[in-house]
Amino acid sequence: MSVIPAGENVPVLAVENISKAYPGVRALDRVSFDLRRGEVHALIGENGAGKSTLIRVLSGDARPDEGTISLDGKRVSFASPRDARRSGIVAIFQELMIVGELSVAENVFLGNEPGLGGILYSRRQAERRAVEVLRRLAGDLAIDPAWPASRLSTAQKQIVEIARALVQCAPVLIMDEPTAALSDKEAAALLRIMRQLRAEGTGIVFISHRLDEVRGIADRITVLRGGERVATLDASAVADTHQLIELMVGRPMSELFPPRNTRIGEVVIEVRDLGRKGAFEEIDFNLRAGEVLGLAGLIGAGRTEAMRAIFGADVRDTGTVVKRGKPLRIRSPREGIAAGIAYLPEDRKEQGLILALSGTENIVMASLDRHGRFGLLSWPQMRQAARRVATNLKFRGRLGDPARAASGGNQQKLVIGKWVLTGADVLIFDEPTRGIDIAAKAEVYRLIHELAGAGAAIILVSSELPELMNVCHRILVMSGGRICDELDQEEFSERRILAAAFAAHMGGGSTGIGAS
Amino acid sequence: MLQPPLQHKPSAEEAHDRRLDMLRHYGRQVGLPLVVAALIGLFTATSDVFFSAQNFRNIGVAAAALAAVSFGQTFTILTAGLDLSVGSTVALVSIVGAFAMRSYGVGLGILAALACGAAAGLLNGLVITKLKVFPFIATLATLSIFSGLALSLSAGVPVTGVPVDFSDLAYELMFGIPVPVVIAAAVLVVSHVILTYTRLGRRIYAVGGNEEAARLSGINIDGVKLAAYALSGFCAAVGSVILTARVASGQPALGASLPLESVAAVVLGGVSLFGGRGSVIGVAFGVMFVSILSNGLNMLNVSSYTQMMVIGAALILAVALDQALMGTRGGK
Repeated sequence: MSVIPAGENVPVLAVENISKAYPGVRALDRVSFDLRRGEVHALIGENGAGKSTLIRVLSGDARPDEGTISLDGKRVSFASPRDARRSGIVAIFQELMIVGELSVAENVFLGNEPGLGGILYSRRQAERRAVEVLRRLAGDLAIDPAWPASRLSTAQKQIVEIARALVQCAPVLIMDEPTAALSDKEAAALLRIMRQLRAEGTGIVFISHRLDEVRGIADRITVLRGGERVATLDASAVADTHQLIELMVGRPMSELFPPRNTRIGEVVIEVRDLGRKGAFEEIDFNLRAGEVLGLAGLIGAGRTEAMRAIFGADVRDTGTVVKRGKPLRIRSPREGIAAGIAYLPEDRKEQGLILALSGTENIVMASLDRHGRFGLLSWPQMRQAARRVATNLKFRGRLGDPARAASGGNQQKLVIGKWVLTGADVLIFDEPTRGIDIAAKAEVYRLIHELAGAGAAIILVSSELPELMNVCHRILVMSGGRICDELDQEEFSERRILAAAFAAHMGGGSTGIGAS
Repeated sequence: MLQPPLQHKPSAEEAHDRRLDMLRHYGRQVGLPLVVAALIGLFTATSDVFFSAQNFRNIGVAAAALAAVSFGQTFTILTAGLDLSVGSTVALVSIVGAFAMRSYGVGLGILAALACGAAAGLLNGLVITKLKVFPFIATLATLSIFSGLALSLSAGVPVTGVPVDFSDLAYELMFGIPVPVVIAAAVLVVSHVILTYTRLGRRIYAVGGNEEAARLSGINIDGVKLAAYALSGFCAAVGSVILTARVASGQPALGASLPLESVAAVVLGGVSLFGGRGSVIGVAFGVMFVSILSNGLNMLNVSSYTQMMVIGAALILAVALDQALMGTRGGK
C-alpha cells in the first residue's frame, strides 16, 4: 500500500537494542524501533510499558544505557532535546509547550524567530509566515497569528506546536497522546492533519490509548510490554482491537467490560431545571438506584460544570435537586457529602488526591468526622477503615506510602475508596479512566457495577464512546450547555451520540477545532 | 545465629532504590538532629564553657520564645501560608500584657496577653480568607499595623512596673528545668497532638497539600486557615509572655528578628514552604540549631552581626539542599 518502494526505504530514524534502566526499574530492554519517511508508526502499551522512556530516548531527553540511534542511516547521539530538535526530531508532549503571554506567531517561531541578523525580530515576517503554515494545517479554521496563545483551545495549541515543527522542516514528529484531551471531532481534524503531513513525507511516531484511532491511522504498530518489544505489526494485518489489547496485556482478555448490574431500583435523585448563566441550562434528569447513567458530550459542553454544581463544588443560578423525595440545599461540597453525593473529579492529581499524604489519609479525608472520639483521631481506627476499603477495591500498593508513589490505576482506587467510605449513594465519576491502563480500566468498570449492584446510583461522565456504550444503562448527550438527546441501552449508536454532541455547533457554521 | 528463611532476596537495584527512598524520606528527619549533634560536638571542642548544665539552661531560656513562635509559625506554613507578623505580634502582646498586668495582676495579665495574640492571628486569618489577600502581603501589612499599634499604645517607651512575681518566672526552675523551657515544651506537645491527632491538624496538612482536593473532600478551607493563623498568633503571644518576663517590662520593639528566625527554624526543621509536609518535632530541632549556633558563636566571640549572616546563609543552604533531595518539582 505504500507509494515508496519498501526496499530502498532507509528508515529516517532507527534505534537498535536500546536499553535504559532507572533505579529499580528496567524501563527498556533491548528494544528496536524504526520510522520510515511518510509513515505513521504507532507505539502502544499499558502504562509503564516503556513508551515514555522510548520517546524520551528518541527525542534526546534521555540517554540510553546501551544500543544505537541512527538518523538517515548514520549513527548519532543526542546530548539534549535541543540537540535532537536541531537534527529535525520534534516531540510534542501532552503538556504543551506554549507560552500563553506570547502571540501565536511568536509561539510558532519560539527560539527560532525570523528577523535580521539573528538579533532583530520582525513581527510582520513572523506573522506572515505563521499564516502560511497555519492555513496549511488548519485550513479555514482560522487561528489568527496575532492572538495571544492563552486564548487558544487545547486543540489549537497542538496545531501551533505542529506548526512550530513545520517551520523547522522537521522530518520526524513524535506525538505523545495528542488526542487524549480532544473531543472526537477535534481528534478527527488532528488525524486529518497527520495524514496530510504523512503524504508530504514526514515520519510520525504516534502514541495513543485510543486503539480504534491507532488502527485507523497507523501504517505500522509496535506494542511494548514491561520494557520489551512484543510485536511490530502492519496495521493492515491487525484483525481487531482485541488482538492489540491482548498483546498489550499479555494475556487473553475476553471481557474488558463486565456485565451490567441488573438490579435497578427506585428513583434516587431528580435534577430539575439546573442552570448557570453561560455554562449550562435546563438540565433535567432522574437517576435510579443501581443505574449507571452516561453523560456524553464534547469538552466544554458543560458536563463537568453541571455535575460540580449538583455536588456543590460550584454555584448554580437555577434548579433543584431532589433526593428520595426530599429537596436538597447544597451550596458547598460539605453539604453535597452530607447529602450522600460524591464527585470524583476528572483530574486525580490536581483535584482528587493530596499526593504528599499517605493512601490511608487520602481515603479517610472526606470522612474524618467519623474516626475517633473526644475530638481526637484514632490512627488505628483510620488505618483499619482504609485497609478494609482498599482490600475491597483490590488496591495494590502500600497504604502508608504517599499517594504520589501509587500508579495511575491505584491512585484512582484511592479516590474511589475515599468516596465509598463516605457512604455516598450517588456517585459522579468524571472521566475516571483517563490516563490509566486497560487492566485498571477494566477494574474501574467492575467497581462501578459493583457499587451499582449495592444500590448506588452512578453518573459516568466520559469522552470515550466505547466506554459509555459498554458500561452505561442510559446515556444523556450534552451540547452547548443543554441536554440534547437521551438514549436507552437498545438505542445506543455512535452516530446518534455524535450528532447530538454537535447539535449546538451546527447552525452557527463555526464548527471549528476547539469549538467549546 | 538463627534466621527465618528469606522468601525474597532483594536485588542490588532494589536495595539501591530503597536506600534512595529512605534517604529522601528520612533525610529531613534524621539529617537535622545529626547536624545539631555535630554542632554541639564542635562547640564543645572549641569552647571550655559551652558544655555545661548552666550553659544549656541559658540556651534553653534564650530558645524558649523562639520555640513557641516557631511552633505557631509551623501551622501557617503547613497550610502553604506564612506569618510575617509574628515579631510585631510579640511586641503588641508585650505592651498589652504589661499594661494589663500592672492594673489587674499577673493572672489576668497573661490571659489578656494570650487573647491579644490570638486576636491578632485571627485578624491575619480574616484578611487572608475573607479579603483574599496573599499571606505574604497580608502579614507584611499587619506587621506594620501591629508594630504601629504597639508603639502608639506605649508612646514608644517601655512599659515598666511589671509585677516581680511575673518577671521572676523567667528564671525559676521546675524540676531543675527553667520555666520558659517547660512552657515551650508544653507548646510543643500540644502542637504535636493538634497536628497529628485532631481533625483540624489533618485538615491543615490536606489544605496545604492540595487545596482544591481538600475543598472537594468537603473541608472548610477558610475555617482551617483561620484556625492556623489564630494558633500562630496565640503561640506568638506565649513567646511574648516569656520574653516580657525576661526583660521585666513591655517593650514596643520586642521580637524584631523573630519573623526571619521562626521561618528559618521551621524550614530548617523540614517543613515544606509549599505546605502539607513536615512536623513540629522537626521544627524543635530547627529551633535548637538556630539557638545553639547563636550561643556557640557568642562563646567564640563572633559578633551578632556576623551571626545574622550565618543564619541567613544556613537558611539558603537548607532550602537548596531540600530542593536537591526532592527534585525540582517544588512541594506539590
